[in-house]
Parts: sequence; C-alpha cells; structure tokens
Amino acid sequence: MNDSTQNARPAPRNRLAEFGNHIYRSLFRYGRVPQDAEGQSYAVFNSLFLHIHPVKVSRHSLRFGYTLGLGVIATALFLVLTFTGIWLMFYYFPSASEAYNRMLDLRSAVDFGFVLRNVHKWGAELMVLVVILHMARVFFTGAYKPPREFNWLVGILLLLLTLGLSFTGYLLPWDQLAFWAITVGTSIAGYAPVLGPPLRRFLLGGDVVGQEALVRFYVLHVVILPGLLSIFLAVHFWRIRKDGGLSHPDDNDIPPKGGGR
Amino acid sequence: MKKTNVRMQQPGMDRRTFLTALGLGGVGVSALIAAVGNLLYLKPAVDYGPPTVIRAGRPGEYKEGIKEVLEDQRVVIVRDKKGFAAISITCTHLGCTVGTSDAGFECPCHGSQYDNDGFVTGGPAPRPLDWYQVSIAPNGELEIDKSVKVPPGTFFKA
Repeated sequence: MNDSTQNARPAPRNRLAEFGNHIYRSLFRYGRVPQDAEGQSYAVFNSLFLHIHPVKVSRHSLRFGYTLGLGVIATALFLVLTFTGIWLMFYYFPSASEAYNRMLDLRSAVDFGFVLRNVHKWGAELMVLVVILHMARVFFTGAYKPPREFNWLVGILLLLLTLGLSFTGYLLPWDQLAFWAITVGTSIAGYAPVLGPPLRRFLLGGDVVGQEALVRFYVLHVVILPGLLSIFLAVHFWRIRKDGGLSHPDDNDIPPKGGGR
Repeated sequence: MKKTNVRMQQPGMDRRTFLTALGLGGVGVSALIAAVGNLLYLKPAVDYGPPTVIRAGRPGEYKEGIKEVLEDQRVVIVRDKKGFAAISITCTHLGCTVGTSDAGFECPCHGSQYDNDGFVTGGPAPRPLDWYQVSIAPNGELEIDKSVKVPPGTFFKA
C-alpha cells in the first residue's frame, strides 16, 4: 500500500461527504453564525430574507413602545391571510349557486375548514385595524416627514389596497349580509360624480349584484389586489431601508439620561 | 438683404432629441391604446343579469286596491281605479328592497319613506321610486318592462 494511490482515488464515502459538504456550503455560505461585526453584516445583507432588516439599527427604534410592532404585525397578518386564502380556494368557488354552500361546507364538513375560514375572516378584520393603527403611529411619531414622504404615499396606497381586499372579500360568502353590503357599497360608489355610474358597472359587471359581480370580486380579491399589495409592500420595505431605517432623532439629539436638554 | 444662416436658426431639436421624443411618444401612444383596450375589455358587454321583461299573470287576478309584491322581481303591482302600475321596490338611496307600510313604502336600511305613489316623504332617498312600463302580452298576461321607466302616476288600463 502506498499513499499516492489512496490520494488519487478517494474512498466513495469521502466523495459523498465532500459532495454533501459542497451542497451545504452552497446553501449556508457563511457557515455558523459569524462572530465578527463584518461577517455578521455580510451574512445579513447577502440574504434575501434577512436583508429586510437593516444591519445596524438605532438604539432608539428598538424600543418596543415606539412602533408597537404594528408594521410587522400587519405584514404577518398579510402572510397569514395569503396562506389561509390559498387554502380556502381549494374548496370555494365563485358560483352564485354554489358559493354559499361551499362556505357552509368549509364551516361544518371540511376538516379544520372552520379554523381556516375563521382565521381568514378575523385576520382580515384585524389587518384593517392594524394597518390604520400603523398609519396613526407613523403620523404621531412624525415618520411621514422628509425623507420619508414617498414611503408615506406608498403606505396610503397599501391602506387603500387593504380596504379594497376587505371590501371584495366581503361579498364572497354570498350570504344576505354580503349581498346587501355590496349592494349598498357599490351604490355609494355610484354616487361619485361622472365616474361613479361606470365604476359601479365595472365592479358589478352589470346593474345588479349577481354572478358577474361575484366573479369580478373574486378575481380582484385573489389575484389583482394581493398582487398589487405584494409589489407595493416590497417597495415599502425597500424604502424603509433606503430612508435610513425607522424614524429616529439624530443621535446627538437624544437627551442624556435623567435630564432634559 | 441680410444673409442669414438657415441652419443656425432652427430651434434646438437635434436628431437625438427628435428620435428620443419619437420613441417615447410611440411607447406612450401604444400604452394608451393598450390601456383603453383593457378597459373596454372589462366593460360589461353582455348583460347576464335577470331578464328585464317579466310576466305577472292575468289582469283579472288582481283585485282593485291591491299592492302585490313580487319579491324576486323587486317590483310591486298596484291596481286601483285608474288601472295597473308597476312600481320598483328598489330604494333609490342605496338599492335595498323597500317594504310596504300603511303610508306606502319604507326602506329597512336607512329609513327612507315613500307614499303609495313612490314619492319620497322622508329619509335620505334622493328621488321617487321608479315606475315601469306595463302592457299586455300577446297571451293576455300583464307584461312589465323594467328597462322602460314611465312618469309616476302613469297607469295602464287593461
């Protein structure tokens, strides 16, 4: 036996381990958690998922009471609603004769259907509330001021999209509440000058709330509005980073502990 | 006569600016055409809603002074001395179905009130209830055309 032959043809077991190690290093390019600041920074901003969060944050914006985590909660709710919504789509379909029955089946017959439906319903109510509270927080902390005016406008768009999703989703159970709420809601839209009546017809696909309206609201609810919301959500996050993270006073402005300025 | 350099007098559009404007203009026009096309596509072209012309039985089935509500058709057939009338029971405020009351009609949603002829007597309704055209179909039944509105007080003599 000599060393040179062994080196030329490594044992199959070693080659497999090397292959596995290669794949592992392709996935986890920074090994274990890097210990030095530079390594940690690189690990964060070279990862799509981690780079949403800035590498360095102001001590000020870490205080929970400053944001109450409302933006994160709204995002989490959107993810929950997307997940439960897609799951509901396996059983629901937007037919005037079937939609209501499918909703009832989800509630009573499908395993865990009532959980998914209720999480979707209450999550949706909560998301509208949280988005409005988030906006109030941004307003009260003055976070809409320069350089963040652009992101405030994106936020307004996100609020409108959230309300649109809430409104379009309201019709889908196809019960009396849904029918009359959308009858009244689209009638209100019809009162808008000039654009009102055509907008109402666009939404309903006709003059009354019927099959056409159900399909149109469904497509808006499951494709168009969530798609737009996802795009602008990405813009929203990106702008937070580009505007220097959460709003915070300049470090020099923070009053010393236990004293005023 | 003063000699002028014609080329120098041309305003400042050089070839690059012109071609850029042409390109952007082309993109703009095509985007506009595409947008109009998409909007037209979404405009409801075929009405899949319930039929607008309905039959409501023979005139003889209605006694004088009756207010017969056809809930599904969202219309009430009225017969009095002057003849027949078909009044819409869709509230002119926000589209709820009005109910009949002693005084006429009342909306459960926001409290609009109408008299027996559909004129507004209270609440937020902006205009009277619609009156639809009534006629006799070839088979002798009453025919109501919900797409044709007639002035309130127009009765059809059977």
